[in-house]
Amino acid sequence: MTLLRRTRGGPADPIMAIGRAFTLVAVVVCLAPLPLLMVVATTVNWPLGFWAGGVTLNWLRDGWETVRPYAFFSVRLALSVLAIDLAIGLPAAWLLARHQFVGRQALTTLINLPLAIPGIAIALALILAYPTARASGLLLLIGQVVYTLPFLVATLVPALAQQALIEREAAARTLGASAIQRLWYVTLPAIRSALLAALILVFTLSMGEFNVSFFLFTPLNKTLPVELYSAYITNRVEVAAAITAIFLLFVVPAAIAIERLGGSKIGQA
Amino acid sequence: MLTASLAVPVLVLFALALLAPLVILLRQSILDESGSRLTLENYAAVIRSLAYRRALLNSTLIAFASTLLALVLCFPVAVYIERSNSRYRDALAVALTIPLSLPGIVIGFFVILFFGLTGVVPQVFLLFTGERQLNFAYTFGGMLLGYLYFQIPRVVLVLRGSVSGLSQDVIDVSRTLGATPWRVYLDVLLPALLPAIVSAASVSLATAFGAFGTAATLSRGFRVLPLEIAASFTESFRPERAASLSIALALLTTALLIGLGRFAERRLQPQGAPDAARGGAQA
Repeated sequence: MTLLRRTRGGPADPIMAIGRAFTLVAVVVCLAPLPLLMVVATTVNWPLGFWAGGVTLNWLRDGWETVRPYAFFSVRLALSVLAIDLAIGLPAAWLLARHQFVGRQALTTLINLPLAIPGIAIALALILAYPTARASGLLLLIGQVVYTLPFLVATLVPALAQQALIEREAAARTLGASAIQRLWYVTLPAIRSALLAALILVFTLSMGEFNVSFFLFTPLNKTLPVELYSAYITNRVEVAAAITAIFLLFVVPAAIAIERLGGSKIGQA
Repeated sequence: MLTASLAVPVLVLFALALLAPLVILLRQSILDESGSRLTLENYAAVIRSLAYRRALLNSTLIAFASTLLALVLCFPVAVYIERSNSRYRDALAVALTIPLSLPGIVIGFFVILFFGLTGVVPQVFLLFTGERQLNFAYTFGGMLLGYLYFQIPRVVLVLRGSVSGLSQDVIDVSRTLGATPWRVYLDVLLPALLPAIVSAASVSLATAFGAFGTAATLSRGFRVLPLEIAASFTESFRPERAASLSIALALLTTALLIGLGRFAERRLQPQGAPDAARGGAQA
């Protein structure tokens, strides 16, 4: 038995060898588009082949000029979504993590409801309910808040429910710490990773959201993914690749940070 | 009482921004074209329509096909990532979560970069054989590949949580008794992970049924339900038709999530279905 344990994960273990082969295939599928995207974005005339006509940074530069206003709008929108999510989601997460009450299951189901409903249906429902609010961009903001909130709450609840944290808060209370002091010096430091991961997650989701935004955007409130979509439909492939590469700079580093902060461990009860 | 008030903001927001709009969506779906009379005609029209039945069939087909592919591919992946002590384990895990942060349209564009008319694969064929081959981006095959791409991280994340709870002894014993590696996967790991596999399948199916971006970028003729909803709202401006289609789709995905979740809880070992949020965002 100990012999088998020692070889676990090593090349001799055929079970892991099968797992590794499948993992390599999956990783290649996930990553392969990224280098190809960079090649297309820096090729003068892609339909003629790899770097046909030479290497250029013009597409990337022009692409940035084109999407800059939409990128800034998306960042501002994501920060607003983040602020609202936090103000609404943190109290709800606290309640779900710390208290048993009538309707607790119903509240959890309600908060998770947007996960089950296609984004396009949420967007349509919002338009039909508040047709006049669309022009102001308010519907876009509300739609994204509803859509991202379940992820914030699901990430924060397990962190707030840790038994060790509850005991430390109780100890601080016995020692005379006020509610504000307990929150600032005990609770927040203990849930720092989960909180950071939740904030990055909401930011990334908002930056990349398309299904809800595509129906709620207006010419003055246009997000980066919506602009990307019009580039895919109308623009030449090199430009589309260039602005996609720019978009990835906003979301991929964030995705990596989330995984480093605990990844799949976060949100796991 | 003060504690209970913590739920007030979220209740107000969800009542105004989710429940009320959904009720209005439901009401719109049972109004006739003039908007004055209640009717089930919209639903009847959806059922009668050959195009919508085809779209439902297409959605079902691509959702189940991509889910099955993702499960077969990701089941050994989850086992490897959770149990390996390789140096590269963390890097591999990070690489596998990258598709989670990408909207469906970007995934569709990736498929075009590889298998579109000027995609890299057809170009390589052109170079060596003088003919473009495998330019299938805009067909069922291209869409299937796009759907598989966004399923990978979702399925891996749900399965990993369950693999980490597996006992090494079960594997060791079956190995000692002479089971081949494939038999260990099929006869030992598969039954042990069945509840997680059902959860992963439900997340994956629900994501596929609701996926709009990938289909919008890639579909040329292979129509799925979300595309028909979009078209009936923006192209033909029939909000009541779009509403009844949306309600049907929302009911379908909710039923899938709840039904498979119950199945996993009751019929299989009571591990508790993982939180749907772990399956990631919509595609």
